[in-house]
Amino acid sequence: MSSLETVKWINEQFKKTNELTQKTLKYEDKHILLFYIKSLIDQELLQKLIIKPFFEMATENQFKLYMQALPQFQEGKSTEQIQLEVMNGNVIIVIQNEIYLLDLKLSNNDQVNSTSVETTIHGSQLGLSDNLMTNINVIRSNYHKPSLCVEYLVKGEINQHKVAIIYDNEKVKNDVLDTIRKRLQNVDKQVITSTTQLNNFLNDKRLSLFPRMIMTERPDRLVYNIAGGKVILVVDGNPQALATPAVFFDFMTTMEDNYHTLLISTFLRVLRYIGLFISLLLPALYVGITSFAPEVFRTELALTIAGSRVGVPFSSFIEVLFMLFFMELLLEASIRLPKAVSATATTVGGLILGTAVTEASLASNIMVIIVSAVAISTFVIPVNEMAFSIRIVRLFFIVITSVFGLAGLTLSFYVLIMYLVRLDSFGEPYLQLYISPKNKSKSEEQI
Amino acid sequence: MSRFYYYLILVNMVANIIACVPAILLHYHKEGTVTSMLLAVILGTALVTIFTRFFNTFPERTLPELLQKTTTKWFYLPFVFFLAVMWFIAGLITMVTFTFLLNRFLSPEMPIIQISLMIILSAIFGCLMKTDRVLYTIEIILLITFPLILFIFYKAYSSNNLEWDYVKEAVLYVNQLPNLHSFSACFFLFLGAANLLIFNRFFAKKQTFGWKQVILIAVISISTLFTSYFIPIGFNGFENIDELVYPWISTSDSLRMEFFIIERVLYMFLLFYLGIAFLSILIHWHVSFEFLKFVFNLDEIKFKGKAIGKFIPIPFFIIISLFFVYQLNEYELFRYTSYFYNSLIIIFPMMTMLLFFIKRRMKYIEQTNQK
Amino acid sequence: MSKQIKNNLSVVLLLLTFILLTGCEFKDIDKDVFVAMIAVDKSDEAGKSYKITLKLYEPTSSFKQMPEPTYSYITESGETISEAVRLLESYSDKKLEFGHSKLIVIGEDLIKEDKSKEILDFFLRRPDIQMISWMAVGRPSAEEIIRLVPQGETAAYPELFNYFDDNGTESQYIITTYLFDFRRNMKSAGVDPILPIIEINHEESHFEINKSIVFRDKKEPYELNSLDTSLFNILSNSTDNADFYIKEDEHYLIVKIDSVKAKKKVQVQNNSNLKLDIEINLSGYIAESKKQLVNKQLPYYNKLFKKEAEKQFNDFFSKMIKGGYDPLGLELDYKSQTFHNRQMSNEEWEEALENAQINIIINPGLKSTGVIQ
Repeated sequence: MSSLETVKWINEQFKKTNELTQKTLKYEDKHILLFYIKSLIDQELLQKLIIKPFFEMATENQFKLYMQALPQFQEGKSTEQIQLEVMNGNVIIVIQNEIYLLDLKLSNNDQVNSTSVETTIHGSQLGLSDNLMTNINVIRSNYHKPSLCVEYLVKGEINQHKVAIIYDNEKVKNDVLDTIRKRLQNVDKQVITSTTQLNNFLNDKRLSLFPRMIMTERPDRLVYNIAGGKVILVVDGNPQALATPAVFFDFMTTMEDNYHTLLISTFLRVLRYIGLFISLLLPALYVGITSFAPEVFRTELALTIAGSRVGVPFSSFIEVLFMLFFMELLLEASIRLPKAVSATATTVGGLILGTAVTEASLASNIMVIIVSAVAISTFVIPVNEMAFSIRIVRLFFIVITSVFGLAGLTLSFYVLIMYLVRLDSFGEPYLQLYISPKNKSKSEEQI
Repeated sequence: MSRFYYYLILVNMVANIIACVPAILLHYHKEGTVTSMLLAVILGTALVTIFTRFFNTFPERTLPELLQKTTTKWFYLPFVFFLAVMWFIAGLITMVTFTFLLNRFLSPEMPIIQISLMIILSAIFGCLMKTDRVLYTIEIILLITFPLILFIFYKAYSSNNLEWDYVKEAVLYVNQLPNLHSFSACFFLFLGAANLLIFNRFFAKKQTFGWKQVILIAVISISTLFTSYFIPIGFNGFENIDELVYPWISTSDSLRMEFFIIERVLYMFLLFYLGIAFLSILIHWHVSFEFLKFVFNLDEIKFKGKAIGKFIPIPFFIIISLFFVYQLNEYELFRYTSYFYNSLIIIFPMMTMLLFFIKRRMKYIEQTNQK
Repeated sequence: MSKQIKNNLSVVLLLLTFILLTGCEFKDIDKDVFVAMIAVDKSDEAGKSYKITLKLYEPTSSFKQMPEPTYSYITESGETISEAVRLLESYSDKKLEFGHSKLIVIGEDLIKEDKSKEILDFFLRRPDIQMISWMAVGRPSAEEIIRLVPQGETAAYPELFNYFDDNGTESQYIITTYLFDFRRNMKSAGVDPILPIIEINHEESHFEINKSIVFRDKKEPYELNSLDTSLFNILSNSTDNADFYIKEDEHYLIVKIDSVKAKKKVQVQNNSNLKLDIEINLSGYIAESKKQLVNKQLPYYNKLFKKEAEKQFNDFFSKMIKGGYDPLGLELDYKSQTFHNRQMSNEEWEEALENAQINIIINPGLKSTGVIQ
């Protein structure tokens, strides 16, 4: 196909939009044709790199050589590629019947954000940016090894988003990589806009309760995971990345665990696991003990609970669900609300509602304490997705306990453990202790 | 040996404290239990050694696979089915005992069928897992429950109310001939190693099983037996100890935690022992499931392209278990359990002979292969 | 995918049926009423042998607002204990919950009738009664004991528990016997069970617990006075505190013991001769004296103390042995060192014990004369 035909074809493609700018530059015996989408390119750069030299160069040949020497240079091979590159912010230059592409993309989103979800006291406060290239730049500049590989894919039939697979060639498990590639191939969604969405598409079970990929915004965590042999997925336009295969313990570690001394980080870990158990079991335990086995607790405590329940119109099961329901509403509301209002909402919800509920004896004092303890300990779980899963499992536990009592709670806890052990995260057992060197896995725990 | 091997042995030993073993031992407290225990430690450790050594020579092989290679079909199919029944009964005993316990002490108002159903369902959920996943589950649940069980034992040993003179009195009944029932009950504690029949699938690498391991197992078994027999005597006296239906429940109720939010140790004991009992059921029924899978070739059965074979035994498991929970009373449970234990001391020595036979055959097969 | 949803739906349905299945066992804690103590007395009514009184906790919404304890009491007689309890259950609108009962008081009248085994049977057979409940004898009746609420009692924890709990008073006169303990010693030969006696000081309305009572098969229970009770406590190593009064050579001293260690050993010589070796280490200081003391003289005071203590313990043992009571478990000690087929019969043992040679060694350890000389 000659360049003229191509030019025609391109014009045809963009006829419906008035975005495509066509510019003809003619000076002395030099002649070039420019096509670009004005909103996508950096106009200053265009002026500096193309227009100004064009008028300064002596001959057209010289200008052609100059173009080829530019780092943004790319040769246009097929019309489809050319069309795609134009959409990505390239400038098409037709010169002497040849088509060149110059990447002059203007990115307004390449600023690195500060971390907002996984905040830590120690370590870097900067996270990823919305720009894929910047993100890869950040990762590469934190992981200096030639074995670091990046593969690009385009996903989303309509919006054609860029996805990058990043891994360390030497450490990654090949079968994991293959499954991920295969699963990515099978993703045939029309629109892909975020990393978390990709997470759902890659998961082959629709109703799975626990996250199989860890979502993070911290470059240090990413680097840590790459070093641990994990595969990182980054979607353009998203400040979060996915790391996989992720096992249960990955969701219970924070980056800070490595920054503290052993004693402190052990203490924090223990604290976190206690928080996990409390947020999982406490409401169900309350139901089990008050309704099935009041003789389990020591007398003083049993009397206090019995006393505080005097006048409460609901049975303990409804009481717990009622209070948890409001707690969940509060949590959900405080995410959606603007920052300025959310503090007020929490105060109104937490303090005023809590006091009023006990005053009106719709719930017992102890119940309010339990619900707030549960809420606080849910926040201790470091990765947000795990906290969501725990919130749902907790409801299951309450229901089961209200049917089967304390023994049912104990057994359902064991069933939960079995469920977790049974799960796979891209070929890795989801829950497994790593003690013996024989089974040493490349999990985060191990490094 | 791999740590998972010890879990198999440990769970079987510790789980039986809650089952009928102490009751049987204490029933014959004046008829030679002490010597039976000593004898069982010697013979039991020997049996464990034979089983473990045998399976160490065939890493990753299960007994059915070996039988298939060395014996004829009309022998191994009925035999493996018989083993499946045995393992099912072993799990069933623990299940029924614990159902009775929960019904008596934790939730007397709840229908017994409901209690047993929840144990059965959760155990079956676990049985269907792959063998390695079963072992991982065992490890995690043990990690959660075992420290607390150890703490309860520590609490018992350090209690002022433990009267050592009664223990000494009981020990002095050592000058009697061993008694069959006590011996078979003690012997059962050692049969955790027999789970290797299936679980050997997991142990891929060649393991060492030398004197050190034998001594370790002997020490674990002696301390378990000592605890399960003498601690109840120390708390409940020697004379008339046989009138206690659940000696260990009475013993744990004799402990008191002054400062903890749960004052009666009984409830902690029940809830945490539920974990151990659950593991015991899980292991036994998993082995039973695997045997059944082998006998009936369940993996091949498909329905609309889905492998449903492994779900076929589930209704049978549920119905038979519920039937026994409904039918048995405590006395019958106690008596039949004793019969079951007695039958095991005939079966397992015979099994060791079978193992020797298999070993020779395998050697022969290998030699012919080399030629 | 749809199959999976179907599977999951069936699981949810299964769960829902389970929820519908139950509901009958679901009972809230405020529909239970907790029993604090149980009193068993002899009934006055003809044809009925037991009178049971239960002390029940009255639930209050907040202990801060209600610092005064409130209890309610229900009483009923019956031919057996369970008959009475069954009747009692109809007296309360809520379910009687025995799981929190911590004290069982038996009336003095009942003790004399040798019915302890019958009473014990009821408490042991019920799974919800704690084996760690304390047992005591109430004088004049068990009902009066549990009905008394002394001044200054805090809610939710009756004062009576503090006496037996190790956290409260650590008096040398209080014997703590748990239900399992009582059962053990009752059912097996070797130790005679012992129970504390709770009395009421009516003028000041508080409890007095400083006596105890020893049970032995086919014998009248034997009451120990407060001195003997404290000596028993020392001998069984269950107390660390003791007081001794020494009155000799115009010395009048009170010795406060803060560390006790007693060893007892039964030795059999030529088959039937018993020798009891009792060794007691008592150390402490002088708490009170009518005369000025001299530090240098501590060995002398020790000698005085040793003499006095030996006399007291000798008295105690001769009383016990003459009466044929064995709360210290001498017989058990003997049994724990002799093979069962070589043991003497009960009659032989009783005879041997009566003729036993008692050898008491006191190791006094007065370390100080107190803060002043």
